[in-house]
Amino acid sequence: MKKSFQLNLLTVTISSLLLYGCGDAETTIIEKDPIIVIDEDDDHDDHDHDDDDHADDEYTIESMGRLAILSGDSNEAAIVDLDDNELLDTFSLIHDSNSLTASADFRFAIVASRSNDYVGFIDGGMWREDHVAHLHDYEQAPEMNHLELTGSRPTHIVKHDGHTAVFYDGDADTSTPAAVQVLSDTDISTEITDIPTLNYTTNMHGVAEPMGEYLLSTVRRDDAESTSAAKILPDQVAVYHLHDDEYEQEQVLDVLCPDLHGAAQNGHYVMFGCADGILAAHAHDDEYEAEKILNIASLDGLRIGSIYGHEESETFIGVASGHEAGEAILIKIDPENSEMEALEWQPEIDASPVSYAFAYEGEAFLVLDSKGFLNILTAHDHDGEVHWELAGSVDISEEDVSTMPEGMSFSMTVAQNDHYVYVSDPIAQHVLQVHVDDMEIEGDIELDFAPASITWLGIAEEGHEEDHDH
Amino acid sequence: MYKISRVAALIGALLPASVIAQSIEGTVNNSDGEAIIGALIRVEGSTSKTVTDQAGRFVIDNLNAGKNEIHLAVSGYAHLHQDIELAEDDVKTVNLTLSRSPIEVIDIVSTPIHMSVMESAAPVNVIAGETLRRQQAATLGDTLEKLPGVQTNFHGNVASTPIIRGLSGPRVLIAQNGLDVSDVSRVGPDHSVAAESSTSQQIEVLRGPATLFYGSGAIGGVVNVVDGRVPTDSTTRGEWLIENSSVNDQKLGSFNLTTGSDSFGFYADGYWRESDDYEVPVSPESDHDDHDDHDDHDDHDEDHEEHDFVVENSAEESSGFTLGGSYLFDKGYVGVSVEQFNREYGIPGHTHGEEEDDHDHEDEAAEENVFADLEQTKVQILAEYNLDNDWVKQINLRSGFTDYEHAEIEAGETGTLFENETQELKLDIIHSTFSDWNGGVSLHYKNSEVAAQGEEAFTPPSKAQTIALALMEEKHMGDLLLQFGLRVERVTLEASDVLLPTLEAHDHEEETDDHDHDHEDEHDHDEETNITRVFAADHEFTPVSVSAGLVWEFTEGYNLGLSISRSQRAPSASELLSFGPHIGTGSYEVGALFALHQEEDETHIGLTEQNIDLETANNIDLTLRKSQGDLAFVFNVFYNQVDNYYYQADTGLFAESGHDHDHGAEEEADEHSDELPVYIFQTDDVILHGFEAQLAWQATNEFKATVFSDMVRARLKDGGNLPRTPPMRFGTQLSYENQNLSAHLDITRYQEQDKITAAETVTDGYTMVDASISYDIPMFNQDIAVYLEGNNITDTEARVHTSFIKDVAPRPGRNISLGVRGYF
Repeated sequence: MKKSFQLNLLTVTISSLLLYGCGDAETTIIEKDPIIVIDEDDDHDDHDHDDDDHADDEYTIESMGRLAILSGDSNEAAIVDLDDNELLDTFSLIHDSNSLTASADFRFAIVASRSNDYVGFIDGGMWREDHVAHLHDYEQAPEMNHLELTGSRPTHIVKHDGHTAVFYDGDADTSTPAAVQVLSDTDISTEITDIPTLNYTTNMHGVAEPMGEYLLSTVRRDDAESTSAAKILPDQVAVYHLHDDEYEQEQVLDVLCPDLHGAAQNGHYVMFGCADGILAAHAHDDEYEAEKILNIASLDGLRIGSIYGHEESETFIGVASGHEAGEAILIKIDPENSEMEALEWQPEIDASPVSYAFAYEGEAFLVLDSKGFLNILTAHDHDGEVHWELAGSVDISEEDVSTMPEGMSFSMTVAQNDHYVYVSDPIAQHVLQVHVDDMEIEGDIELDFAPASITWLGIAEEGHEEDHDH
Repeated sequence: MYKISRVAALIGALLPASVIAQSIEGTVNNSDGEAIIGALIRVEGSTSKTVTDQAGRFVIDNLNAGKNEIHLAVSGYAHLHQDIELAEDDVKTVNLTLSRSPIEVIDIVSTPIHMSVMESAAPVNVIAGETLRRQQAATLGDTLEKLPGVQTNFHGNVASTPIIRGLSGPRVLIAQNGLDVSDVSRVGPDHSVAAESSTSQQIEVLRGPATLFYGSGAIGGVVNVVDGRVPTDSTTRGEWLIENSSVNDQKLGSFNLTTGSDSFGFYADGYWRESDDYEVPVSPESDHDDHDDHDDHDDHDEDHEEHDFVVENSAEESSGFTLGGSYLFDKGYVGVSVEQFNREYGIPGHTHGEEEDDHDHEDEAAEENVFADLEQTKVQILAEYNLDNDWVKQINLRSGFTDYEHAEIEAGETGTLFENETQELKLDIIHSTFSDWNGGVSLHYKNSEVAAQGEEAFTPPSKAQTIALALMEEKHMGDLLLQFGLRVERVTLEASDVLLPTLEAHDHEEETDDHDHDHEDEHDHDEETNITRVFAADHEFTPVSVSAGLVWEFTEGYNLGLSISRSQRAPSASELLSFGPHIGTGSYEVGALFALHQEEDETHIGLTEQNIDLETANNIDLTLRKSQGDLAFVFNVFYNQVDNYYYQADTGLFAESGHDHDHGAEEEADEHSDELPVYIFQTDDVILHGFEAQLAWQATNEFKATVFSDMVRARLKDGGNLPRTPPMRFGTQLSYENQNLSAHLDITRYQEQDKITAAETVTDGYTMVDASISYDIPMFNQDIAVYLEGNNITDTEARVHTSFIKDVAPRPGRNISLGVRGYF
């Protein structure tokens, strides 16, 4: 009897379980930002990088990029999406009196405050990784990076080929020596702790140019030896090589450069501005060779203190100016032929340039002036010589430029993925999108604050003319 | 021959002379009155066990008063179940007689309830010992294919997975010592299983739904590879083997060793195998594959005699070793083992473009060959604690950590990298016998992170987590054995980046269309915008499985088994989330999360509007067995209705494979060579039914004959067939075994398979003839056997219908293997 009872109980249990036996399934799907890809095959038939096209297409993102905008009204920075001109986020900055630039691969906005010994990074949210089989692009919300650099008086921030070099001038008052730190975008994103550093023993207003694991940086000698008139300016350049997070001096260039100020490179030559000319250095075998391109008469006693270079431009543009605004002379510097020459076009007397830049792919040189004109100079080849000529000027402001807020100016930044330059106008409180080739204003980003300076962020695309076999 | 007599003698000698409390002593004989040596006697509901000595005698002491259920097992005989009543301080002497069983009966070790081919409600098979060594192959599917109800999906000798009753892939779980093998073999037929037969002790197969024991992945069955990597005793023993095979010049060496001291056990095994491309009796490409060049084919036929045909890129090299150690104590053991598994193999059929004339440009072939480099580290911690108290009899713990990586390498570069990281924990609590019920509760946790990167990363990275609770019980009531089980699972599957690219799929009929102009140009520049939608998909499933079964010994030596189950399965990541080219299956796979949408003339793929639901199998199994005597048989019929069965349906569309085409000579190739048919996972109700039959006759002490047959029919409920369904088979196995010599002749007929889908072709039937002879030479205190094996002796062309590459890789031709193995 007992057994049969148990059997019945078992049967009941099984049948009730069978009723319950229809299990449950739940699915939640959330759509995220899509990945947008442009099939490059269709617009460049001559492209012969073959196989990874397919792989790339799946992972690359087509986007105009983003813009970091430093507010002139408050210590805030804004990130704007250039695809839809939408404000993505604003970030409160610790200090005021900031300068703004982009990191070497344009992922981060670098906010530096010289007087506060501070360099911070805002992740623009767009970057590319090389996954070997394909290039992988990311598009994420911008965010403040936690890395902070606290070297003394960060001044010149120079980037080249994936490396950003921050030159800290140091401080004579506190006997803080100068230093250089070099970071890649990956270093910044991983908030690296052991940053490759070059430590000096004295302070100086110097500059460093990163070249892979090498660094060309300035050297300030003892004041007794120095040929500089202003002793805080260095008069030598040395080559440093990275060993375990530290740069070690390998070579001092044998050409002196008194009152060194300003530097640029184009991949072949590294140029430094000196009181008496330009120091042009280039690698030869394992050594750097240097020579001096002497100042020319048309400089009228001024010296070149700022130099602009571009990977795809053989010639550099130097700017010689007095300390008074309005007197600027633009000089073409040709290191191949060791010569310099004043450009035919020079800024108008009453329109002092406020910003200079090479356009995307280096085919044009842009000069933004205080009157609100974007002057576009293009390179022409005459008998094997490059000449820069004015292609046109774009009037970017309808406002009365005399109402420019105190301490502000127009500012511009060049997109690294297409032929656009963005110009900010603190008076009209907007940023204009200008197509460099067409010399036309194509877009307008309205702001509710006065932009002090802007910088483009995003995924840089290599120029198409460039021969890239991979 | 495996002699356990020495072990038995040793244990017999160690038997305590004095007996305390209740005990049973007795002898075990066969029906001719001869003593049976080495029979294992266990008492159900306790952990007491012993082995008969050379006179067939045994003593079990420390038993409880009342009813004791004892279970006897020994090779060659039917297992015996007997109840013995013991009074207080009773010492009972029993004489037990075992009947011969021509069908080998081996118990499954990994389930909390008792299972064997003869004694459980649900059908199982176990191969072990010499049978396992004779049938072991480089790949798991090929090893098991002689079992009734099990066939292989033969993938050119380099990879294969068992197909159980027509089901495979995410429906058949491969386990190692009861824990998921954690590779990516469930995803692609060209992915090898990360388990090795040559060092294993036994391989268990649960046919039909086994979700009860193993969860979602086991709805079609389970294959469990068992070895002694965590030793449960420290008796020194071991085995080694060296073999060379002719068809692919395969060299194999393997060993395993167990030893230790009183309280520590030590285990080591290792193997190394290397083979070349294997020879085939005919040109590897089958006739009906190429439509264009029938003329060429006649040439081929003429050339037959001169050519040594090989299946290109089917070479393999693998090695592995395992170390294990355990602490042995009175009430159990705890141990840990580490395995390193390496395998490098070519992937035949994984070439692109010109397959037409591979005879004369071997240099190029070498360039484009794709090979897989597989590596796995597996750590297992196994423990058993026998509490033997009023409530809990035993606690059994298994846990595993595996780290798996598998790179598909093409022209020296990693094309695709698959990774699987799994942590698993299984805790079985076996309760003490309670109103004659034996059984226990099983807790199961599994966490797998699977990722693929590269060209063939058709499934996005995902994380799957399973938490399950199961109850399994059985009870003997006179002639009846009742078994039932229940399992509730919680499965979560998370993928944060499920990609839905704009697929440029097109119909081949509309080939004249220039593709470029019908895509919208949103940009001013001549650019074509492709938008890849990205989703975060979270799934949560609660599959519930129940099963009930009974075995009725309606007359002495005969029983009838009935098993009814309702099992549920959560679909796998590849079934839901895939989107991309899968060269292993030669298709562009799209997961069930997506569906085709038709808008006027345009077809596009978007999110599905269907609910993602569980797959549910309702299965009835009926088994009739004769377990004793010179003639024994096992007949099984099953009917399995699977609702919401996930399968790939042909869309009729084609998409770019996205595959690298570095190599020249492409002009000759078919212009669609880099296009793949698009298959979308969808669900439908499916019916599978069939039978397995096995009949063995022990004609004399030496001579035995077995005949077997199996068949499965797999169809959609609303009409239509499922692809790659195994054909019907029947065969005979004749064996002769005496003291020193054993000889086997297996003849298996595979019938034509004409129940096919539109995308398949009919596969011809064939007959495989295998034979082996082995001679024992006792020397150096070891049992050494020299053996000679022949496979496919008639050198017939055999194409495996279940293979994805049947048209480019038939089975190997005639093969002769010579080997030596030893036991100590």
